[in-house]
Amino acid sequence: MSEPYTKMLPGISNLNRPYWEGLRRHVLTLPECDDCGLIWYAPSPWCPKCHSRNFKWIELTGKGHVNAWSELKGTHATLLGAPTDGLPDNAVEITLEEGPRLISNLVGVEPGEIRTGMPVTVVYDDVAEDLTLARFKPA
Amino acid sequence: MSTFDLKDRTAISGVGDTEYGRPLNRSAIDLAAEAFGNACDDAGISTRDVDGLIMSVGSPLGVDCDSLAQMLGLDLRMYSQTWTHGRFTATCIQQAAMYVAAGFADTVACMAALGSSGVQAGLNPRPFNTDPFAAAAARDEAAREGGGGHGQDPVYGIDTTDVGAALVARVYFDRYGATSEQLAAVSIATRRHAAMNSGAMNREPLSLDDYMQSPLLATPLREPDYSLVAEGAACVIVTSTERARDMRKTPVLISGMQPLPVGREEFIWTYPGFGVAQQERRAYGEKLQPVYKMAGVDHSAIDALFTYDVYSIITWMALERWGFCKPGEAADFTQGGRIEIDGELPINSHGGLLSEAHMFGWNAQVEIIRQMRGECGERQLENTEMMQWANAYGDSLIYRR
Repeated sequence: MSEPYTKMLPGISNLNRPYWEGLRRHVLTLPECDDCGLIWYAPSPWCPKCHSRNFKWIELTGKGHVNAWSELKGTHATLLGAPTDGLPDNAVEITLEEGPRLISNLVGVEPGEIRTGMPVTVVYDDVAEDLTLARFKPA
Repeated sequence: MSTFDLKDRTAISGVGDTEYGRPLNRSAIDLAAEAFGNACDDAGISTRDVDGLIMSVGSPLGVDCDSLAQMLGLDLRMYSQTWTHGRFTATCIQQAAMYVAAGFADTVACMAALGSSGVQAGLNPRPFNTDPFAAAAARDEAAREGGGGHGQDPVYGIDTTDVGAALVARVYFDRYGATSEQLAAVSIATRRHAAMNSGAMNREPLSLDDYMQSPLLATPLREPDYSLVAEGAACVIVTSTERARDMRKTPVLISGMQPLPVGREEFIWTYPGFGVAQQERRAYGEKLQPVYKMAGVDHSAIDALFTYDVYSIITWMALERWGFCKPGEAADFTQGGRIEIDGELPINSHGGLLSEAHMFGWNAQVEIIRQMRGECGERQLENTEMMQWANAYGDSLIYRR
């Protein structure tokens, strides 16, 4: 029996349920506007570019690159005395091939190996029975 | 409708603050009352003369208007509140100026108060007694639907506001070849200023060596790049300029204001077009910001700049956003003492959030007023005709004597 998952859970709502259900199936999905073609994150009631309400959920390639990164030796909270256990090794901002950016963690890298522009691909991390996260690894 | 009617029509006629520290083990209402009382004394008015109040309510559980007004026996015609956030400091003062100019109130106190004592813990599932107060506040913010607005994603273990700033710093370093040695200049300047401010929380001298040997946190940021989370309170009193002229101290006029922008091109820790969060990456600059047009000046008229330096990198972004230098030039611009009190553009002469206290920029408003009245002793600036509060996230106030 694995340890219960105690980290913060996503707030799953009618807006983002397809995204989280997609990750459960190991598919990265986001809304695509039927009118202007924007593919966007975070899921919202209408296209944030042209305000069209006509959109569909599409499957993404899961490929992208590191737009920005930080190795987390500590944070503002740990500076104030919060525990460091549970802090991920890094925070990365991934620009997906299709355009949107996601905040995530990069796995399969040693400290000092992350580089801006590094090509990456999604890793579906089944962290709990009912929760899969989209982490990334070097492509 | 034009905003030009508001130029110089309202003024800051009193300021007050308290000690800053963490933890102070004091009630936020007590701290609010002290700052408020001090501001009224400073203006030469009775606390009963105040007929409007705008609060930045402390997070996670701050002082609500009803409690404060009832416990202090205030009788207010006008009340408004935001939550404590550097982004809402100018907003509160701008609201006060507009209410006063429109005749809805004559004397509006604007303030923030934070204290960790007196918060009732029973309804909160989080153990307030064991969890660092401010860290818990950060997590609360990150847990909101859509996240906290600083690039947090707590599901991926990123629940604090510094990580988004670290991502901006990384992009800036990579794009412009800027270095930690250059970024150090921001923290070194504020620390030097804080050494001349008996109320500052960190008055230890900081050398470049000290900086480079300090612990890395969210890389490339180091400990001195982080602001000092604080408890305390600060208050400013807004009245008409006409009334202010009859009050105790030299009035400081609100000459220009620019509200807080928000949208898909905005990200709290940088300016539009920078290419983080969901921003496009495109050229930024050249356009004179509306606040200068309202005040009838350009940034060359600004004697000192005050900015929300919650992380040192944000000072760079503010300089570039407001046109003090071009994108990519802030790293060089801040070298050689230029932003120190005897430099060409002094920044945060009180020590800022980095070295005085993280009082959401309310302490900066207090400092601006005291500087313009010549009350700052050892750290008194020479030129104080016009000063600006202007932030990386795009809001501003221009004050003049």
